Amino acid sequence: MNQSKATIEEVRKKGVRRTVTVFGAIAIGIFLLSLLQGLKYS
Amino acid sequence: MAHDATHDHHDDHHGAPSNFFVRWCMSTNHKDIGTLYLVFSLLMFFIGGSFAMVIRAELFKPGLQLVQPYFFNEMTTMHALVMIFGAVMPAFVGLGNWMIPLMIGAPDMALPRMNNLSFWILPFAFALLLSTLFLPGGGPAGGWTMYPPLSLQGDSVAYLVFAVHLMGISSIMGAINIIATILNMRAPGMDLLKMPVFVWSWLITAFLLIAVMPVLAGAVTMLLTDKYFGTSFFNAAGGGDPVLFQHIFWFFGHPEVYIMILPAFGLVSEIIPTFARKPIFGYKAMVFAIASIAFLSFIVWAHHMFAVGLPLGGEIFFMYATMLIAVPTGVKVFNWVSTMWGGSMTFETPMLFAIAFVILFTIGGFSGLMLALAPADFQYHDSYFVVAHFHYVLVTGAIFAIIAGTYYWLPKWTGHMYSEFWGKMHFWNSVVWVNVLFFPQHFLGLAGMPRRIPDYNVAFANFNMISSIGGFLFGASQLIFVGVIIHAVWFSKKKALDRVWEGAKGLEWTVPSPAPFHTFELPPVIHDEELAHGHVED
Repeated sequence: MNQSKATIEEVRKKGVRRTVTVFGAIAIGIFLLSLLQGLKYS
Repeated sequence: MAHDATHDHHDDHHGAPSNFFVRWCMSTNHKDIGTLYLVFSLLMFFIGGSFAMVIRAELFKPGLQLVQPYFFNEMTTMHALVMIFGAVMPAFVGLGNWMIPLMIGAPDMALPRMNNLSFWILPFAFALLLSTLFLPGGGPAGGWTMYPPLSLQGDSVAYLVFAVHLMGISSIMGAINIIATILNMRAPGMDLLKMPVFVWSWLITAFLLIAVMPVLAGAVTMLLTDKYFGTSFFNAAGGGDPVLFQHIFWFFGHPEVYIMILPAFGLVSEIIPTFARKPIFGYKAMVFAIASIAFLSFIVWAHHMFAVGLPLGGEIFFMYATMLIAVPTGVKVFNWVSTMWGGSMTFETPMLFAIAFVILFTIGGFSGLMLALAPADFQYHDSYFVVAHFHYVLVTGAIFAIIAGTYYWLPKWTGHMYSEFWGKMHFWNSVVWVNVLFFPQHFLGLAGMPRRIPDYNVAFANFNMISSIGGFLFGASQLIFVGVIIHAVWFSKKKALDRVWEGAKGLEWTVPSPAPFHTFELPPVIHDEELAHGHVED
């Protein structure tokens, strides 16, 4: 609560970047996995 | 209290760009993008609804009356696609966009430009999808489930697949944005277990979206290559397996059902405590129940495929796993009832829709339990009983919750009270006619009427006529909703208070009505007593 606006924004920016990277990678990974499943069972 | 930050901007009601194009097409403001989503979803609701009217008009009497069978199949397919991806999902994203930053004390969504892109992909996706109805070969007619080889007939496959890809990209970007916002943008003091249930429900829904939308994208990509590039993923003649598509599709499709209902649970969990003037009963249990339902949604997909010829062990597993979902769902229903128990209840329009949700969604849940029984499902499968079941879940469930949420927050958005009289007219007409529309469909299904047919045995005539009358009047009732919204936005003289409802708690009620263009630019100082769940015991 005592953090300055700039500090809060910096922490938020770093966290947002990490979240987007992780979940973006998960989404792309699941897409590729589903195609692999198709290849494996067809 | 949160006033420190918000009152700095109390007069900032007109901070929005004055240029119409800049404001609405280039917006990065979560409130404006939320409004765009909500308006888009309302438009899609009426387009999808008009397809339903064609279906019910054709089924008014036995025999072929109005449309050709192929067009009828296009209508059933497009009705589902438009309602699911165009109406229900964007409506929840719109509500989330508007309210999540306000509820957690964030200045905006974490990724405002991506938010704009997520929305503006949608009109193009649906223009593409709907344009197929005007193509010489017609639009998709193989059902929203797109089972091959049926769905591969016709020339609109590429349009359908590209439209679904666009919707998927939009949903995934929206989901990542919501997760990034909730995990990183909460005001100091807004711990995870102090968040409103609506925010929790959206966080869990966003995880579901990221997990399953890429699976749908994979499935339709394989459809595309089977159709145009000579592959045989789902073509038995080339060594593929059409049942594989069903597995992949329903691995997406079942969690998709929960994507459409979990935010509804969140909405109802906001509204009932407000009008019962009591904190929600079992806050933590509600959150864990949502998470449990989300987890279970991944291990029940083959209950859609009992009739396909699964191994006995598979049928038993999917039957019991599906029945298990009744436990966390029951927890939620009992907790909503317990919240109302002994409360000082009043019955404004949002509360009426929320109570109708609890009762009618539970009816949909019970018919779902019946369908979960593998031996019984062989009779119910592909019948109107299934149609009745999922419309109770999605219309009186998801859509009633969206309507309830709209009435609940409309005064906060517009700064004016809506007409309570017309809101109640909307409610009573909706609740009566929706039951006239869908309840007889249980009987039709149990008597053996198959779904997705334009003609039927004369034995089914009476219930179909009743259902169609209910359908026309339910559709007409929704015009009242549009009238109420237009009146509240442009004509209502009754100003809304900041805390619109006496029993409402949470940060969104600490900002002025209408909510200023910019809110919480400085993180609010949060006092637990302001929050609905500020004092959760461990």
